[in-house]
Amino acid sequence: MPNDSSIRFLLGRLALQNLGRRKPRTFLLLAAVAICSGAVFTGAVLMRSIESSMSVGFTRLGADMLVVPAGALTNITAALLTAEPTDLTLDDSIVGRLQALKGVQKVAPQLIFRTDASGYSRGGDMIDLIAFDPDSDITVRPWLEQHLHRPIREGDVIVGGRREETPGSEMLIFGRPLMVYGKLAKTAVGTHERGLFITFGTLAALRDAMLQICGTKAPLEPNKLSGVLLELAPGATTQQVRFAALANFAGIKVVSAESMLTSIRQGLAALLDGVLGLMVIMFVSTALMVSVMFSAIITERRRELGLLKAIGARRSQVVGMLLAEAGLATAIGGVLGCLVGVILMRIYEHSLVYYLDRMGVPFVWLDSRLVAVIGVLCVGLASLIGATGALYPAWRASRSDPHDLIRAEL
Amino acid sequence: MLACANVAKTYETARGNVGAVKGIDLTIERGEFAAIIGRSGSGKSSLLAMIGGLSRPTYGTVSVEDTDIWALADDQLAQFRNRRMGFVFQFASLLPTLRIIDNVALPALLGQTRAVTDVYEAAAELLDQLGIGGYADAYPTEVSAGEQRRAVIARAFINNPIVLLADEPTSDLDQETEREIMDHFRAANRTRAMTLVMVTHNLSLAEKADRVLHIAEGRLVA
Repeated sequence: MPNDSSIRFLLGRLALQNLGRRKPRTFLLLAAVAICSGAVFTGAVLMRSIESSMSVGFTRLGADMLVVPAGALTNITAALLTAEPTDLTLDDSIVGRLQALKGVQKVAPQLIFRTDASGYSRGGDMIDLIAFDPDSDITVRPWLEQHLHRPIREGDVIVGGRREETPGSEMLIFGRPLMVYGKLAKTAVGTHERGLFITFGTLAALRDAMLQICGTKAPLEPNKLSGVLLELAPGATTQQVRFAALANFAGIKVVSAESMLTSIRQGLAALLDGVLGLMVIMFVSTALMVSVMFSAIITERRRELGLLKAIGARRSQVVGMLLAEAGLATAIGGVLGCLVGVILMRIYEHSLVYYLDRMGVPFVWLDSRLVAVIGVLCVGLASLIGATGALYPAWRASRSDPHDLIRAEL
Repeated sequence: MLACANVAKTYETARGNVGAVKGIDLTIERGEFAAIIGRSGSGKSSLLAMIGGLSRPTYGTVSVEDTDIWALADDQLAQFRNRRMGFVFQFASLLPTLRIIDNVALPALLGQTRAVTDVYEAAAELLDQLGIGGYADAYPTEVSAGEQRRAVIARAFINNPIVLLADEPTSDLDQETEREIMDHFRAANRTRAMTLVMVTHNLSLAEKADRVLHIAEGRLVA
């Protein structure tokens, strides 16, 4: 019967017990790794949460730019949440070309059709049907206050914040029943607050009925858009994109949002990238510290390693034992760090959410499964860093003659 | 048979190279008990380390049973040490975090050729033979220096080596324990036909050997 697992168990036990031999030093090592892992774990979770929250919060401030047909009326004092109803249109081929412009991060097309002939009986008012693309949208879904617990689909409608319909109710538009999927918060932008938002697919399904009732209208022609909302990439300026758009496309008008909001959004994106960089530096410095510490540990245990080699331990077994010891210690530190991180986040959760809410940013915690994945990654990374840090001193010790290792202690 | 041919060891130090062993030729027959004596720093321990595959000679060869041990690859040499050699050092060379029986079983477990149960049975039997069977589950710090040394001898015997190398094995023990340890060595040398090479300062111990080799300033003088 082979005893491979038995020797691994014995060497593993040796590694574990070695950690217990110098308790203060092991404690310091665990504490250092725990602080680093905890900071990285907490930072990663908060960064991702804040990123999501900011994404929602700042998107609520509107797009950075709006591209509409030249001659279309626009409300330049309002946040850029939607285009205004107009008979002027753009060809939808502009979407891909705008996306290709340098400095453009996201492109969200919309088509608005204002009508009083929808047949929707409630008040018989004029309604604005606004088609949008849920996949590229940046100004509709961030404002969703209530919605059904499923993804939006064809046949759904999202109502503006000043409308009375509630999610789950039905609206008969151009003779076709639409399910109210969600309701937006109030935005103080008229078209946005009163609009009925549907997907381009739903609009296509309604088009025949709309043509029959309203006759041929420019927005109902195939492949047309009323406007395109743009979000800029970090570092890009509105002037740069405006000039590029005007130089490339004829018959358009470009409307910019207040530059301060764009700057804040871009600044935050850069800040979050900086935090990521700091985390990388922190992990690298921890690896160096572990390496220095294990150099000292190995120097202290040269006689023991020499003895193991003398009685027949192979180089791989010596290196494996030391790496297991380092990996185990740093993994334990990683687990402790993540646990402390979770506790700290729970403690500061209320104040953090409160302050962000005051700033108008709804705080969105990461999904608990994603938090668990980040935790596992942090522990794995901590263990890997421990093993990496110990690799060079372990490899050096394994190369030494057993007598040299033993003699150094005498 | 154990043979050294023109074996030498030079250590590189900050103050220049120091020749510890300067070209020794030596043959020890199988089953022979040889004692190496000499003053401190004469090169006794360096010679023993080269014979035992623990320290690479600067030049020269060491053959054990016709195997040029320093021509072996690192892992092969580790295996050779594990299966063919036993060591008793002048310090208490037990791993403090393992039980006495684990320490004794360790070389056999590292060798990975025997079943775990067989290894532990053999370890327990050796501890009984050496009179410390009752301390199998104790940790090294829980037993006396003499009992620790017996455990080290048991560990050296666990793989039935053909050569036993002992470096000042009784230097820190009382006379009674010293005598018992030497009796165990002598018994192993006779009953197991184990070649025994022992480094010692103690001339009365050296007198018990079949042959005494005297080293001075890195050279064999007698």
